[in-house]
Amino acid sequence: MLLKLDLHNHSCLSPCAQNELTPGTLAVTAMEMGIDFLALTDHNCARNLPAFKEVCEICGLVGIYGIEVNTIEEVHVLSLFERLEDAMEFGLFVEALLPPIKNDPRLFGDQLIVDEADSILATFDKNILSSCGISFSDLVEETLSRDGLCIPAHVDRPAFSVFSSLGFLPDEPYSAVEVTEFPTRLELGHNAVITGSDAHFIKDIGKRAFALQCPSRDFEGLKRGLLDLRP
Amino acid sequence: MKASAIKDLGYEVQCEAADSEITGAYTGDLLSDVMGNAPSDSVLITIQAHKNTVAVATLAGIKALIICNDRNVPDDMAEAAKAEDLWIFTTADSQFDASVKIGHLLGL
Repeated sequence: MLLKLDLHNHSCLSPCAQNELTPGTLAVTAMEMGIDFLALTDHNCARNLPAFKEVCEICGLVGIYGIEVNTIEEVHVLSLFERLEDAMEFGLFVEALLPPIKNDPRLFGDQLIVDEADSILATFDKNILSSCGISFSDLVEETLSRDGLCIPAHVDRPAFSVFSSLGFLPDEPYSAVEVTEFPTRLELGHNAVITGSDAHFIKDIGKRAFALQCPSRDFEGLKRGLLDLRP
Repeated sequence: MKASAIKDLGYEVQCEAADSEITGAYTGDLLSDVMGNAPSDSVLITIQAHKNTVAVATLAGIKALIICNDRNVPDDMAEAAKAEDLWIFTTADSQFDASVKIGHLLGL
């Protein structure tokens, strides 16, 4: 079956995202756009994923629990999990790798932790845009060893991408590679190539959703679909 | 030196700010490194032409950015720099060439 996925989205926890972009707004908007697989991937932090799970269940979406990790080389990578618990555990691992730099909301924006009804529960103290003390290849290995999907993000962008920061795409067993322009002119080898919205504003939800043939509408089906997408 | 002295290198002004005293410089493209190590009241020589550079520079007390290799300064970056009272210069020079020239201006 042809299913719609959008595996790269932010919420109000990411300082660079709109405060109104709560997990609830993300899920409801994505549902209205007919998205099947929806991931929340805030920068280096998993703390809005519990609310995201609640709203995905209400909206009938297959929630994918993720984090967009900023590696030590300043490469952004999506680490995606089937189960909330695994994502939360991975989130604590990543948070601990962030330097102890406090967020200045005036410069970077707010880092809001909310519940499924958009109520603010807390703000996250450390700046989550910093780079984590883990290398790109270690992150790929760590994510895959936790049964997650590992997808280098927006590899065709001029900053925070594998090409802009490393200069090339290392040969690693990625689950897929994300581009912002499809088809891409980049040489991406034997990898599955997908798009993701990287929504930071409500208006951007679903703008780069991707249609994928999957055998079933669940995490296993998504995994299989991505494997079959490889050239 | 004054921030405005950087104009004398023929670098293009993308964003003008208060003419503060610049006492040092830092060259780097890894923003986490810049955040941790750049001295305050300095000029940052980099190719990182995006809005995050402005936020990091402001945190570090940097007063001016020199964007090398003819990279374009996006509008949101220029707006952020204006709000934070930060100079932005652009040049075709590499980071090395710009560093040497700034070193001369600083009398190093």
